Amino acid sequence: MNIMAAHSAAPQTPLSVTPVIPAGRMAGAGLRAQLLWLARVRVLWLLVGFALIALIALLRIASLGLVGQAPERTSLEDALLPPRGEITDRNGAPLARAFPAYALWFDPAAMGDSGSPLVRSPQEVAQALKAIFPDIDVARMARRLASGKSGYLRRRILPEEANRVFSLGEIALEIPRETDRYYPQGTLAAHVLGYVVEDKGGQLGMEQVLQDRLSHPDQRVDPVALSIDVRVQGALEDELRRGMLATNAIGAAGIVLDVDTGEVMAMASLPEFDPNTAGAAGAVNVFNRATNGVYELGSTFKPLTVAAAIDAGVVRDLARQWNAAPVPVGSRSIKDSHSMGPSLNVPQALVHSSNTVTARVADELGPERLRRAMIDLGMDRRPFIELPAKGRPIWPQGAWSRVTNMTVGFGHGLAVTPLHLASAYAAMVNGGIWRPTTLMKVDPTNVPQGRRVFKESTSSKMRQMLRMISLYGTGRSADAPGYRVGGKTGSAEKAGVGGYNKTALVSSFAAAFPMDAPRYVVVVVVDEPKGTIASSFQRTAAFTSAPIVGKLVPRIGPMLGVQPDDSRDVDISDLRYLVDKGK
Amino acid sequence: MMNSSQARSLGWAAVLAICFALVVVLSFKVHAVRSEVLLAERQLIALQREALLLETEFQTRASQRQLAEWNTVEFGYSAPRAGQFLDGERQLASLGEVRGPGAPSPIRLARAETGETAADVASDEPMRSPVSGAKVALASASAEGDAGAVFTQAFGDFLIEASPIRPARAETRRAAKVAAAQGIAE
Repeated sequence: MNIMAAHSAAPQTPLSVTPVIPAGRMAGAGLRAQLLWLARVRVLWLLVGFALIALIALLRIASLGLVGQAPERTSLEDALLPPRGEITDRNGAPLARAFPAYALWFDPAAMGDSGSPLVRSPQEVAQALKAIFPDIDVARMARRLASGKSGYLRRRILPEEANRVFSLGEIALEIPRETDRYYPQGTLAAHVLGYVVEDKGGQLGMEQVLQDRLSHPDQRVDPVALSIDVRVQGALEDELRRGMLATNAIGAAGIVLDVDTGEVMAMASLPEFDPNTAGAAGAVNVFNRATNGVYELGSTFKPLTVAAAIDAGVVRDLARQWNAAPVPVGSRSIKDSHSMGPSLNVPQALVHSSNTVTARVADELGPERLRRAMIDLGMDRRPFIELPAKGRPIWPQGAWSRVTNMTVGFGHGLAVTPLHLASAYAAMVNGGIWRPTTLMKVDPTNVPQGRRVFKESTSSKMRQMLRMISLYGTGRSADAPGYRVGGKTGSAEKAGVGGYNKTALVSSFAAAFPMDAPRYVVVVVVDEPKGTIASSFQRTAAFTSAPIVGKLVPRIGPMLGVQPDDSRDVDISDLRYLVDKGK
Repeated sequence: MMNSSQARSLGWAAVLAICFALVVVLSFKVHAVRSEVLLAERQLIALQREALLLETEFQTRASQRQLAEWNTVEFGYSAPRAGQFLDGERQLASLGEVRGPGAPSPIRLARAETGETAADVASDEPMRSPVSGAKVALASASAEGDAGAVFTQAFGDFLIEASPIRPARAETRRAAKVAAAQGIAE
């Protein structure tokens, strides 16, 4: 304002003295002053204009510098938050994770004009794509490109392939980055994990069970740890597969269970499927033999019957001789597979797997008490596990007759899943506490209390007898040196239409190790093994499922913290003479 | 001429102008740092994603099934036996027991000097693949110069730095004591 005033005041002075009649020099001076004033005003306006522009520019810069939004701020957490949570094993090895993948998408509108969507002819582009993806059909691809409809050309392509497609220079061939559910271990633990179908969520396994947790915005940051140990799972599947192929079986199932916490360390069902390729079309082999298949598991039930009898006080003296002659029941009779002498004691009956003695023990125990023990072991309901695929046991309804009681005693007339058996064996060897099985990692300080099914003393007796079966009896091929394995074989004919199928067998082996302080139960079930060279042309459990356990235990023992030791074993000195008479 | 109050107000105006200029400069600086942080964050995200990608690739290539197959075909490792484990410190210590007085001397194996070194023997028979039986050229063999020397040259200093066992401390007290005891005995 001061400057303005000064400028405007200066030209005012000459104007005020301009005479009314212009004369000579004075007129020239007046004109000159006027022109000068005009020039000054113009310069002033110019300056004001410049100043304004500079001010605006400065203001703009200041506003940008002070409050201007930097190119959209993304927080680290948001950017790294997976669209679906990760599933890991108990040690943190990833089993399922969100994985960035590339797709090949055809977008005819990408060129942005009304001309052809492709630079070259569809035929040429199809040929070029054929060079990258050898399995495509050139004619069909050319038709697809010529049709001008947008859509996926290929759902998943590798980064190298994406680069080669990019170098074709066709703008209409887009390579969008998509997040995919990926299972790095491939088919491993497929039945435990399940798979994910886009827009439908998790299917089948823990993907379905944990659907809410895995897709929850707040919870999906942290990976979910399962109880599975990926190394144990790998060893179990490897040995199961080998055993299944060696005996030409149609399927196999295996479970490794922690006896003290109920955690499933490994669970496998063969044949398996690949969750990476399973999608909306579903998958083959989704049937989970470990938790969904119900089988009459045969002789593996005999130790449970004996444990119930010892617990109830029916078997007090293990040296007592029981009649081993065939048991007449109505018009039929229960026989042994081969005669083992006129009488046997209970340890001998288990070691030689005698049907007759077990039936007599069950008979003496009575249907109500055996039924009670089986209910306590959870045999009358679906297995306790998170998986949605849980088989309902075939449970004899109503009050049990004498025949039912005796047949259940040696594992017939009652069909349960292998998981039921593993859970029951865990209760039998861990001191008598039944605990629900789980696939979630259990905090060691917060183990479920469980319920007592057997007495501590019963469990201790059973540990001795199970160890004797694998030392002297049918389980010898499972006796891995140094691991103190104890277990029972079971071979049962599959029930078919109109009675038992003589040619189809289910062979099982239920074991625990180390028997002096049991830590893990291993159950292996082989579905319909055939007699092959590998199994010495035998189909029974001693030649089909027990060797699988014998090879598996040394592989998983050190991983699970069980050290082989030749100088340690469960003390069987008080029972040894009952079985090992001549030796 | 300006009086003192005019000079004071001019001074205040100058101070105000300087402060304003400083604030502007500072806020520009803050914003620049913020942009750098943002850039670093983006780099972090990109690296995290790359790490995830590489880790997943590693997990896939080293999946349990693949490892089992490699073991069947190439390595043939088997599960450890009971004799391969030590029961505790006591058993470990027993391995370093000093020979008692009157104990039989340990068996020593003789070795004939044939004049050829281990490297010569190895170079006579090239390594063969256990699968195809074809000769395998090791990467170290095709490299120029001795592989060990190349490795030492490349990583020797680093490994010495990284190793928890320094050459000076490589001998444990126990071993020194045993050596001293044997020196006295002989």
